[in-house]
Amino acid sequence: MINEWVVYLLFAAGMFFLGLYCLLTMRNLIKLFIGIEIIGKGVSLVLLSTGWARRSIYLAQSLVVTYIVIEVSLVATALAVIINLYRANQSLDIRKLTRLKG
Amino acid sequence: MTFQIILLVALLLASAAAILAKDLLKSAIALAVASLLLEIIFFQMGAPYAGVFEISVVAGLITVLFMLTIALTKQGDDIRESKTVKIIFPLFFIVFALIDFLVMRGILARIPALEAAAETGTFGDVLWKERSFDLVGQVAVILAGVFAVLALFRKRDHHD
Repeated sequence: MINEWVVYLLFAAGMFFLGLYCLLTMRNLIKLFIGIEIIGKGVSLVLLSTGWARRSIYLAQSLVVTYIVIEVSLVATALAVIINLYRANQSLDIRKLTRLKG
Repeated sequence: MTFQIILLVALLLASAAAILAKDLLKSAIALAVASLLLEIIFFQMGAPYAGVFEISVVAGLITVLFMLTIALTKQGDDIRESKTVKIIFPLFFIVFALIDFLVMRGILARIPALEAAAETGTFGDVLWKERSFDLVGQVAVILAGVFAVLALFRKRDHHD
């Protein structure tokens, strides 16, 4: 059981890396948000596979369901912020979001 | 286990496609595909409720929200990503996979075996009785999200 669990951890770390790479290198705001989504998917994979390895899948499931509900709220708010930023700047490039600098 | 590994590899590939695709719509669709694959993995582990939430909310609702945003911000595609991104990516990924594999193999011997905590009851019992405080938090977060979206899209007052 523990070896299979480590396989899941390995792939979840891969997803976390992909999201982190996206956050570090991309310039489009929507792309950055897709990176955050991928990190979230990796984290929910870790939660559920740990619950599966520990044979307490119900608890892991309830945590993942809570995470998904929070994720929806987060996505709605963040996309609303992105649309407002686009209306203010006419661009989604993070290098152009410099109007707050002092 | 081979089937699970195939699913996990496909999940990783779909995530990479979501990040590396040039067209934003394609990357939103790749994200939906990734969450479909994640949902199949959840079903394989015996977690149907989390799988159903994943497929209906993440693959459905969030993809629709992403597409709506991409449609509303038409010039978002024009941003040029730096060209080194795609060149460095495989290199970084190989280095990461090596480090990941070595670290995992190193800590594998030291992780104590997770003791199995046999659960009683059903998913409903666990969610509604043990984790009932989480539900309060969920309601608060949903309300906060609704108010945030309302505040962000309210009509601007021209006097201020």
